[in-house]
Amino acid sequence: MAVTAPAPLATRERTKRRRRLRDIAVGWSFILPNFAGFALLTLVPMAGAFVLAFMEWDSFTPPEWVGLDNFERMLGDPTFWIALGNTAYYAIGHIPLTMAASLGLALLLNRRLRGLGFFRTAMFFPYVTSLVAVAVVWNMLFNPTAGPINQALEFFGVADPPGWTSSSAWAMPAVIITSVWRDMGYYMVLYLTGLQAIPTEYHEAAEVDGANAWQRFWNVTIPSLRPTTFFVLVMITISSFKVFDLIVVMTDGGPGRATTVLSQLIYRQGIIENRFGYSSAIALVLFVIVLAFTAAQFTLQKRKEL
Amino acid sequence: MKRTITAAAATVALAGLVLTGCSGQAAPAEEEGPVTLTVSVWNYDQTPEFKALFEAFEAENPDITIEPVDILADDYAEKLTTMLSGGDTTDVLTMKNVTDYSRYANRGQLLDVTDTVNAMDTDKIAGLDPYQVDDVYYAVPYRQDFWLLYYNKGLFDAAGLDYPDHITWDEYADLAAKLTDDAANPKVYGSYQHTWRSVTQATAAAQTDGDLLSGDYGFMDDQYELFLGLQQSGSALDYATAKSQQISYRTMFETGQAAMMPMGSWYIAGIKAAIDGGTSTVDWGVAPLPQVESGEDTVTFGSPTAFAINTKSAHQAAAKKFLEFAAGEEGAKAIAAIGVVPAYGSDAVAEAFTALPTDDLSVTTFNEPKTVALEMPVSENTSDISTILDEEHDLIMVGEASVGDGIGAMDDRVTSEVLG
Repeated sequence: MAVTAPAPLATRERTKRRRRLRDIAVGWSFILPNFAGFALLTLVPMAGAFVLAFMEWDSFTPPEWVGLDNFERMLGDPTFWIALGNTAYYAIGHIPLTMAASLGLALLLNRRLRGLGFFRTAMFFPYVTSLVAVAVVWNMLFNPTAGPINQALEFFGVADPPGWTSSSAWAMPAVIITSVWRDMGYYMVLYLTGLQAIPTEYHEAAEVDGANAWQRFWNVTIPSLRPTTFFVLVMITISSFKVFDLIVVMTDGGPGRATTVLSQLIYRQGIIENRFGYSSAIALVLFVIVLAFTAAQFTLQKRKEL
Repeated sequence: MKRTITAAAATVALAGLVLTGCSGQAAPAEEEGPVTLTVSVWNYDQTPEFKALFEAFEAENPDITIEPVDILADDYAEKLTTMLSGGDTTDVLTMKNVTDYSRYANRGQLLDVTDTVNAMDTDKIAGLDPYQVDDVYYAVPYRQDFWLLYYNKGLFDAAGLDYPDHITWDEYADLAAKLTDDAANPKVYGSYQHTWRSVTQATAAAQTDGDLLSGDYGFMDDQYELFLGLQQSGSALDYATAKSQQISYRTMFETGQAAMMPMGSWYIAGIKAAIDGGTSTVDWGVAPLPQVESGEDTVTFGSPTAFAINTKSAHQAAAKKFLEFAAGEEGAKAIAAIGVVPAYGSDAVAEAFTALPTDDLSVTTFNEPKTVALEMPVSENTSDISTILDEEHDLIMVGEASVGDGIGAMDDRVTSEVLG
């Protein structure tokens, strides 16, 4: 049995480096299909849009550099401020309500229960239902004169029930209620997985120590759920600021401008009015807002972990 | 070596770009033999006028085959804009409205067809004026819709009322009150005003000489008061319900839930199709749009639809032939036969228009001389002003702004946000 002589140091170095390179190449080849698609279809257009924000372009004539004109115009555009306010309104309503509703559902359905699978599926259903169908049905429920919601309110003695989507004051709450209903099933699933990852020993230990159900929820469940809560919060925040489809099919921004949101304004100014520069500038502002909120959430989360 | 090839390839590519860029401008030589002409259309299956026109044209020009480029009606303007900015070569472009037309024309995307238009019998083509841009025509209208009053003869007969022959808006309101039947199930409303702002705003502009682009909208006052009064008294379905439930005006009229309804002439073909198809049994007629004062000539509003030619078209001679046919008498007869109102008017065309009820009032309504104002005037601000007028219309009609406040908001916003 021949003993192989140890390879000279240089060769060994080279093999090591080659192996490392190969590992890197293999790694890249795994993410390449996804990354190439992302770069081509998202990153490049996004970078293009950032540049466009400082230009004027109608998609026919060559773009023209206008510096900060688009942003100046934004400052003086009342519709932009209304849309910004409406977007914030939607986010402030949608984020906490959806989190509370989905956590509540998850707690409710995280126990042994007859027909558990059915209830979990039922709660997830709104999320996979066509949004247009959702909007039509909720609009019927919200019908100011003959809708079941207002009939129920009248039955319970509300003399002057709200006009919902036909009233400036109630259109946004109506949209928020619909969106919470639609999204809660999805986030419930996330919370369920989070709940099931909590070791039962924690609860048992707390019980032995004499903690009641509320104390266990507050001191065991909530802290253990923190990673899930953080993830859910970031996802809902981003989706809230980007809300578009539900508003378009339910109210189309109306009545008047009562539910016009930023993403709708981006669409209107860009695709309909062919002001791609101005539209990109609004998109840039929306991007910065979402980025700032997400970054703030990450920072807070890190601080809590320390 | 390698570098030379790359450079050569780049040169060829660049030359190709430059050449294609130029070829759009120069008129290509007319080719021999069969030609396939592409025409942009919307909802081809539900818009029978296109098929009728194309078939009539092909029958007369066996050498030319027409291939529709079908686009969803709701996205038509955006889709066409995107196509054109991408250098699309579709030969004939249907101009859905005059505002979009003026955008394309001003951007140099449409071929000058002044010669073709001048060779036609222009006196007989209604709605031609808006297409003239600096003495040049870039399109020619083939249909001209105008607004009239649809009414349900059965409901009038049951109430023992005379048909609405050249009535005023005040008489309209009286009739609406008398025709409303709360006891019926579903309730019968004396009138139905659809949610579009034109029902109020374009009517007022046409009949009081108002200008929808002016930033001064006091002329809409009476029309708003009238329509709001109708919905408050229950003689019309309220706007909030109609809008939030996305009520179809066709359902309101075809199921007998509305006795009178101002609507565009395109609906004539729609009712006919519904009755032929057995989905409606409504006994209907048309009358002139109600007026402010009685005894005057009928003033209404409407908008033409036109065909234009893409500057990048490779079949410009054939495309011109199509324009001439579609906007002329033969094309007019082909679309009149299916109940669509052509821009070209003549006795032969009127005779081909068989979808109309045959009673005297309907026939008079159709053939009497009338002033048809353009639904929305054209300027570079049309689209922005239109958005504002839509938003404030919404607030007035749901009752959140009084007529005075709503009109004041229109004045302020159009003046400061658009004109200022």
